[in-house]
Amino acid sequence: MLQPLTVVLLVASGLLGLLAAHHLLRGRLVDDPLIIVGAVIELALVVQLVVGLTKASAIGDGAERATFIAYLFTVLLVIPATIVIAVKEKTQWAMAVVLGGALVVAILVARLQQVWSLNV
Amino acid sequence: MSEPAPTPEASSEQPDTERPHTGHGFGRVLVAVYGLLALAATGRSILQITEYFDRAPVPFLLSALAALIYLVATIGLARGDRASVRLATIALTVELVGVLVVGTWSVARPEAFPEKTVWSHFGAGYGYVPLVLPLVGLWWIRRTARATAASDEEVARSAD
Repeated sequence: MLQPLTVVLLVASGLLGLLAAHHLLRGRLVDDPLIIVGAVIELALVVQLVVGLTKASAIGDGAERATFIAYLFTVLLVIPATIVIAVKEKTQWAMAVVLGGALVVAILVARLQQVWSLNV
Repeated sequence: MSEPAPTPEASSEQPDTERPHTGHGFGRVLVAVYGLLALAATGRSILQITEYFDRAPVPFLLSALAALIYLVATIGLARGDRASVRLATIALTVELVGVLVVGTWSVARPEAFPEKTVWSHFGAGYGYVPLVLPLVGLWWIRRTARATAASDEEVARSAD
C-alpha cells in the first residue's frame, strides 16, 4: 500500500516489543520512552488509516475491501488498550501485555499489507 | 498477608492490597487476549453477516456467538467480583465445549464449513489460541478462587 509507512510501523512495533522485553527483565513499569514509542506508532497508524481509506477503492472485491477497512480501524485500538491495561498493573505482567500488544500491531500491519497486495 | 485487615470486605475496598483478582497480574494478559479475540470475532462476524450471510449462515452465526462469549469472558475476568467470575466461568466452559464440538464437526464434515470461523478446525486459523485459551482461563479462575479462599482463611485466623 505505502511501503515506507509499513516498514516504519513494523520497525516501531519491533522497538516497542524490545523496550517492553527490556523493561520486563529489569522489573520496570510503563515509563516515558514506552509511551513515546507507543504514541509514534499510533500516529503512524492514523496516517495509515487516512492513506488506506483514500486508496481503498483500488481493491475490487467488496468483501476484501471491507476487511481491509475493518483492519485499518481495528489496529488503532490495540496500543491505547494495551497502555491502559499496562498502566494499571503494578507487576511485571504489565510489560507482558505491552509485548503482546506490539506483536499484535505488527501482525495486523502485515495482514493489511497482505490483503492489499493480494487484491490490487 | 503482611497487613492484617479486619474483615475481607474492608480489604477488598482497598485497591492496593494484593487480594487475588481474576483481572490482576497474569489476569491482565488473559483480559487483553480475550479482548483481542472478542474484537476479532466481532469484526469477522459483522463482516460475514453483512457481506455474505447467504453463503454459510451456520458458521457465521457461530462466529457471532463466539464473539458474544469472548465479550462476556473479557468483561467477567476484568471485573473479577463473584458474580462476574461465575459468568466468566460459564462463558469459558461454553467456549471450551464450542471449540471442541465445532472443531470435531468441521473436521468430520468440512463441507458444512466452507467459511472459516474462530472455532473450526479447533481454532487452527488463530494459532489454536481458541482451544488453549479456555483451558488457561479456567485454570486461572480456579487458582484465583483457591488463593482467595486461602487469604480469607488467613484473615479470619489473624482476626482471632
